[in-house]
Amino acid sequence: MNRKPERRYIVIALSILLMASSIVVVGESLVEALSESGEKGEIIRPPVPSGLVGEISGFEYSDVAQSYLKSSAEGGRTLTSFRARRAYEGGPPMIPHKVDDDRSLGGENCLTCHGKGGFVPKFNAYTPVTPHPNLKNCRQCHNPGRTGGTFRGSTFEPIAWPSLGGSVLPTSPPPIPHKIKMRENCLACHAGPGAVEEIRTTHPERINCRQCHALSTDDEIWKRPGGDRLP
Amino acid sequence: MKRRAFFKFAAASAAISAAQSFFPSISFNQEGEENSGNTTDTESTANPLVGDGVEWKKTPCRFCGVGCGLLVAVEGGRAVAVQGDPASPVNKGLCCVKGYHSILALYGADRLRQAYVRKEGTLVPVPIAEALDIVAQKMKETIAEHGKDSVAIYGSGQWTIPDGYVASKLMKGAIGTNNLEANARLCMASAVTGFMTSFGLDEPMGCYEDIEHADVFVLWGNNMAEMHPVLFSRLLDQKMKRGARIIDLATRTTRTSMAADKSILFAPQTDLAIANAICYEITRNGWVNQEFVANHVSFKRGKTNIGYGLEDKFKFEDAATESDFEDLKDFLEDYKPEKVEKLSGVTAADIRYMAALYGDPGKKVMSLWCMGMNQHTRGTWINNLVYNIHLLVGKIASPGNSPFSLTGQPSACGTVREVGTLTHKLPHGVVTNEEDRKMAAEIWGVPVENIPSKPSLHTVEMFRALDRGDLRFTWIQVTNPMVTMPKLNRYREGILKEDRFIVVSDVYPTPTTDIADVILPSAMWIEREGMFGNSERRTQHFEQMLTPPGEAMSDTWQLIEVARRLGYKKLFPWSYETHIEEIWKEYGRFHAGAKHGMAPYEVLKERPGVMWPFVEGKETKWRYNADYDPAAKPEVDGSPFDFYGKPDHRAWFWLRPYEPAPEIPDEEYPFWLNTGRVIEHWHTGSMTRRVPILHQGMPHAYVEIHPEDAASLGINNGERVKLSSPRGEIVIPASINERGIPAKGQVFVPFFDEAYLVNKLTLDAFCPISKQPDYKKCAVRVERIVA
Repeated sequence: MNRKPERRYIVIALSILLMASSIVVVGESLVEALSESGEKGEIIRPPVPSGLVGEISGFEYSDVAQSYLKSSAEGGRTLTSFRARRAYEGGPPMIPHKVDDDRSLGGENCLTCHGKGGFVPKFNAYTPVTPHPNLKNCRQCHNPGRTGGTFRGSTFEPIAWPSLGGSVLPTSPPPIPHKIKMRENCLACHAGPGAVEEIRTTHPERINCRQCHALSTDDEIWKRPGGDRLP
Repeated sequence: MKRRAFFKFAAASAAISAAQSFFPSISFNQEGEENSGNTTDTESTANPLVGDGVEWKKTPCRFCGVGCGLLVAVEGGRAVAVQGDPASPVNKGLCCVKGYHSILALYGADRLRQAYVRKEGTLVPVPIAEALDIVAQKMKETIAEHGKDSVAIYGSGQWTIPDGYVASKLMKGAIGTNNLEANARLCMASAVTGFMTSFGLDEPMGCYEDIEHADVFVLWGNNMAEMHPVLFSRLLDQKMKRGARIIDLATRTTRTSMAADKSILFAPQTDLAIANAICYEITRNGWVNQEFVANHVSFKRGKTNIGYGLEDKFKFEDAATESDFEDLKDFLEDYKPEKVEKLSGVTAADIRYMAALYGDPGKKVMSLWCMGMNQHTRGTWINNLVYNIHLLVGKIASPGNSPFSLTGQPSACGTVREVGTLTHKLPHGVVTNEEDRKMAAEIWGVPVENIPSKPSLHTVEMFRALDRGDLRFTWIQVTNPMVTMPKLNRYREGILKEDRFIVVSDVYPTPTTDIADVILPSAMWIEREGMFGNSERRTQHFEQMLTPPGEAMSDTWQLIEVARRLGYKKLFPWSYETHIEEIWKEYGRFHAGAKHGMAPYEVLKERPGVMWPFVEGKETKWRYNADYDPAAKPEVDGSPFDFYGKPDHRAWFWLRPYEPAPEIPDEEYPFWLNTGRVIEHWHTGSMTRRVPILHQGMPHAYVEIHPEDAASLGINNGERVKLSSPRGEIVIPASINERGIPAKGQVFVPFFDEAYLVNKLTLDAFCPISKQPDYKKCAVRVERIVA
């Protein structure tokens, strides 16, 4: 991607020329139409379908990926602490710090820190970033613990935690070993100093994670309909 | 699969070190794996990826009436993980903290694994077959000695549909008593009588999809953010995407108030006056949908000064008299906003604001409510009154225009309301109707004379009858009345009297199993096959995924075992392997037809729930509207509406006045007491408290006091205070400015905690029409405890 930047500039320059000439040719109506449609240089995304969960925020944070996500600071989070806060892989983590306003859904209060991450002096820690900032009712799923222990004990044992690695070939990137519903945004959990050390990516700048890392949680072997017909 | 995984893993391991030298910038995470603390080494060699050996199966959530679709991961005979079912139109892949941790409720260390029988005062373990023998024997003896109306079954909105169906067939068809009730009487009865009196048929005309069409949501005493969190997230989603407005009309400031566009506080009981004031404004401003009202609405008056049911054997029957629009205008003269402002504390401006939202022809409005309106001594009335508002402006039975009654239990609708496990009900219709009795007798294969034509005991009266001694034997399944009954001290003392035999089927020890003579261990939720029906008429099937612990047995099969021991084998002939399917097929005959047709068993197994009426392979999203409902046959040109539940094919607008609560604060007991719930715990907490993360998040109950009241009483946050009412007292920690803030002069206690039994204080007054008690209003004293 970083190779031959000079060629990119040529393409951009040609595009600008083309745009300018087309404006002259097509006239003001197009300019108006463009400005009405909001074409002023900002990012325009396709309309989000109705629903609560979906692959809608897969590229959030890519704008900051180049800066602090590449930071060499150590956030101190480990797989052990990551797991201690969840009942099972994919379960919502509990809130490990005090929450001042118990009457709030969370929302912007939580997102102030958990929306973009970074260092929070109050807790002397790098914040984990939420992979689903579109959901504002944080306290629907995440609770602070007010006490330790259990009411009457528990014999629950969770699903095996996903194993790391697992590349099929020496040259192939490891697959994604967990379900990604509500965690479509890889960078939120795998990049930056707030990420868990063992699963932090070395190359957050590559952004399009699923270009190389395939989802591999499907335990069904695909079979041709009709079964094996070859001799 | 395991082979494939093994080769994949072996190949990868062998090659990784070589690869790392070629691609130094890419981490292969070998070191991460070593540090990961994964103890199942052999497992992870064979199964390098999650998913191997794990099966994901669909089920509705065990908890509230929203009915979220879950996918549960089952591995090695145990439930090991949960995700929201993206295919479910209810929750679209999202859950709340209870749903995500629902499977942990199966694994409390003190699960009941065996039956117990009380011998010489002590509960001793016995084989379940012996316990079932004793239950049947005791039932027989009691009937022989005291008659068939001396035995009762008290079930629950957590009963699966087959549980409730078998209980109804046993009590009403086989034994021949109407002593069958369920705890949904305490939470949904006013919703039912509201629907029946206004529309003639139970359950909402709309569905959750209304949320995506509505412009305004008015929440009537409904803390949705904590009680129906996934639906509330759907509301929030519409607020963010489309600018829909949320109005929180409540007596207490909650998370819902904080998230709403407008929070309006009203004085307890004055919702009746507020609803009428909204109608007054709509009428005065000419916002009435004249055409809709002329064609589709009848006006009725009922009785007034109807009492509160505080005395034993209280009787009340409403009677409708004709009214009309002119009569309504006279009636509403008493509810001018300025006058209602004085009564309710809601400003006339806010009343006009709400009226304007309902009245604006350009806005689609959804009203939502649950316990606030239902647990109300005028619960039927306030349900009628909110329907009135929607009827006056014609905003009903079309996408986004929807008065929507929410439920609290997973199958309050599916089981208690649709199967009809209440004293006056049958799976189709009511016991007082001869045709309905004939239908039940025919399907059940019993003589029609078996089914008594008179309702017997509603829930409060059932517990009063136990106290009096009219009732001698009660079998309680899936509910915890020794925590939930109002005026608890009376009913606890009553049930403990000599010669009262109590059987309790449950999954954990509770204050109710504590008083039992026999405890039957139940299979819970996905440890057996069943169906639940949620608030939007959606029936959801779940298969048996797990083996129940020890000798635990499903409530359905417990009932069948006892029925057979009572000599009713012919009526309960089903094989263990297929009994749920066979019960579903038999039950389905009650609802056949366009008004309530149920989906076939095979369809239920396949889909993430199916809404009834299910007609010719299609669900009905909006009832009474011919554009969506094949049962609607409109007779007015250009109008799709047909309120076919009533004989005149009209919805009934009931002129219902404001009447005060039976007990209001005075000098001796100067505070209003309100009870309710918190997001972490469900019902009496007997399941959710066994979930570590939920217990840790909310370890005990508390009393919320307004900060100014606390200051004047000298009470600090966390200090223990004494609450007392004429019926009892409790000592409980104070909560000031935390989860919720009651209005001044009010206190609030969540009722999940068996250590702080707030129902010792509550009043057993009920709505005379629905017989549902009011847990939201009584008078208490609040005292600082001097150390």
